[in-house]
Amino acid sequence: MARWVSSRRDVLRGAAALVADALLPRPARAAPDRREVENRAIVVTFGGGVRWEDTFAPEGWPNIPHLVSDLVPQGLFYPEARYEGLTGHFNATGALVTGCLQNVDAYGNEAPTAPTVFECFRKERTLPPEAAWVIASNKSFGLLGGSKLRDWGDPCAANVILPKQFLVESIKSAVSTDAGPGVEDRQALAERMVSALDEGYEGFGWRVHESGRALGREVRASLAKSLLDYFNDPLVPTSGDELTFFMTKEIMSRLAPSLVLVNFWDIDVAHFGAYSLYLEAIRRTDRLVHGLWEHAQSLPSYRGRTTLIVVPEMGRDGDPSGNGFQNHRSGDESCRRLWLLALGAGVPRGLVSERPIRTTDVAPTLARVLGFKMPPGEGRPLSELAF
Amino acid sequence: MRTTATTDAASLLRRHRDLLATLPVTFRAFIGVEAARWPTLFAPEKAYLGALLESVAAWTGPERADAFAAMARLEAEAGCRDVRATDPRRLQDETQALLRRKGVLPRWRQEVDRVFQRLQPEIDARLHPPGAPRRLVVVVYGQGIAIQRDRLWHRLRDLGTRIPLRLEAARTSDAFLRAVFGTSADGLFAALYDAAGHDAHDAWIVEAGESLHALCEAGDGGGGAAATGLSYARLRAYREMLARSLYDKVLSGVSGPQELAAYARGLDIDPPERSLLRSDGVLRAFVRDAFLAGNGTLLVNNTFVEWAAVQALKRAEPRLLAVRFGVRDKMKPFSSLLLFSRPRPTDQVPVLEDPLGSFIDAEQLSYYVWLNAEKSAAYRGKTLYLLLAEGVDEMVAIRSGAAGSGADERPAASLAEVAATMRAWLGVSPGASAARPLASLVG
Repeated sequence: MARWVSSRRDVLRGAAALVADALLPRPARAAPDRREVENRAIVVTFGGGVRWEDTFAPEGWPNIPHLVSDLVPQGLFYPEARYEGLTGHFNATGALVTGCLQNVDAYGNEAPTAPTVFECFRKERTLPPEAAWVIASNKSFGLLGGSKLRDWGDPCAANVILPKQFLVESIKSAVSTDAGPGVEDRQALAERMVSALDEGYEGFGWRVHESGRALGREVRASLAKSLLDYFNDPLVPTSGDELTFFMTKEIMSRLAPSLVLVNFWDIDVAHFGAYSLYLEAIRRTDRLVHGLWEHAQSLPSYRGRTTLIVVPEMGRDGDPSGNGFQNHRSGDESCRRLWLLALGAGVPRGLVSERPIRTTDVAPTLARVLGFKMPPGEGRPLSELAF
Repeated sequence: MRTTATTDAASLLRRHRDLLATLPVTFRAFIGVEAARWPTLFAPEKAYLGALLESVAAWTGPERADAFAAMARLEAEAGCRDVRATDPRRLQDETQALLRRKGVLPRWRQEVDRVFQRLQPEIDARLHPPGAPRRLVVVVYGQGIAIQRDRLWHRLRDLGTRIPLRLEAARTSDAFLRAVFGTSADGLFAALYDAAGHDAHDAWIVEAGESLHALCEAGDGGGGAAATGLSYARLRAYREMLARSLYDKVLSGVSGPQELAAYARGLDIDPPERSLLRSDGVLRAFVRDAFLAGNGTLLVNNTFVEWAAVQALKRAEPRLLAVRFGVRDKMKPFSSLLLFSRPRPTDQVPVLEDPLGSFIDAEQLSYYVWLNAEKSAAYRGKTLYLLLAEGVDEMVAIRSGAAGSGADERPAASLAEVAATMRAWLGVSPGASAARPLASLVG
């Protein structure tokens, strides 16, 4: 039995290699002609709702060793970022990508009401769909890639994939019958997910505009490779954010999009009420953010011309004034007091700006970084960045 | 001492009919929803609703207009006054939806807070006058939790006094609990129950395991336990029933958490009688709400303990609350991503405990128990908090309203003296023990 499992694992590793060698786009095709877009921007939401006191307050530093020791010294840190909108994930992230506070359905059943950075970027620069991606662990972010406005939306929206939702649907399918290997066999689950990529993606809430009903070959190959990397990783990852991480890496490697929003969301496990799981998720997010930046530095298409912005979309309730770390519904100061870290191209190194900023400043800042225009909104570009 | 509700919902609403007609529609809806829950309210909740209406009624017309003006303006802006629903719950849902759609929900919430900031002191003065009885909250970390002595009670220890303990023979969980609380016949719970005017809702046990429940039952002659008890372990079958219902609903497809919450509200499943120390309609509804309204309460034992304890503090206002945390299980890879799912018979993975994570959780959650108690006038300035850990030779005692030193008190106390202190604090019979209460705490 062990030998069979082992040999099957080898076969899967072989399949990964096959996918990489035969299915993935050749380097010449992997880097689409983007002479007109020199810069790259990656926004990572340190997402799910995280409190100042559990991150950048001194007592929170042990939870974010990579941010504190590796990334902040390389970039510009704003300790006073604020979010004044509704304290739900979709509206808070909608404010990040539009530069305007949003008040739409909290569970993602409505698109944002103002143009997103993805639409403005693609429309102005006449870019193909694969130039802008949203890779989100939050299952309700399917409509985050484009607004509901006439003349905007799908034709110029970002591609959106929801890795965790894909994982959850696959698990649901695996445990829906007593037959078959279930979820305890990682390789079987990997096979199931790779097969599922061929069966269409709409059921997972994805919106991949390039490829219509079937995933485009390049995209499909990238995702298949990332799945196999995830399941074969020696750290034995199991979380949705880790799958988001692997898929982001692969999309960056193979498709080199200019604008990427990565939404991590494991931290929202805080709703389970176990403080240790919440802290564990913060530490994992810290590790994944660092890993993504390292990955970007390893890729010629990103190294030296990429600006990374890391920001929580919102906080969580404070202890004395709110309902504690489990929730984010009180709208108290702890829900609104955030931080933002920028690093990479155009960002001064090792500085802290005490100037209060807002999360609605992210969208116009991205517009400045990538050189496109946003309609006037509530945010202002971060003037400390040199573009 | 119980606050007796001398009226029922219908007569309360009748008495304040004219007043209610002048109040903002969202406030009226709130009153209506609370009144509809009357059969499932604890006595303090009924008293609260009465005091709330009496306090508003005591305001002059201009005072009332001033207090509610901003709320009424926001309602008008959102179109809440046009809602014709007569059922209070529907009225509440529809007006909330309008406030949300109009984008004024956060401002409306602020206004509600402002109204209650003004009302609360008046309500508290009616319900909790000076001289109201003392209360006791005991938090226990169960055996198996990986206690880090240097971090133990780190959020609370500076608020009280660290008291070394002589455990003597009480090093096991059972012996420790027996030494602190006594057994069924002569224990603390029985002593409080026997005191004049008390009933089983005056003493609560909320625990992850069932050791305190067993203690309450030991030697019980069938007359029923002296405390209200909720045990996550004993409620396992009930939890599984609820989880199965929710999971089936999730699999059948729901549009979002709101629909799932509405479905959960409509679930009519009661905990089996034998899973509770004592059972009545109010308590059964409480348990059901604790599992369905709390975040993660169906999934994590200590989350349930904290949530249920805090709800008990807020709703039942017991004079004695014993909270006992335990060791929670680790999340299972992958399958824990599916909320409420059950492992397949062919997928049985051994349950692994997380003793260290449980310690981190218990530290935060015990802080929340204290914090929430102190938010209530029923407890503020009237409560002794004891933080204990089974097998650990120290405790922290916090006397509400008294400045804490964080310093050690010497010499070490015996567990019998701790037990005597609890009885003396509550003013109940000292029982057969000759131990003396700790003068620094009860004096």
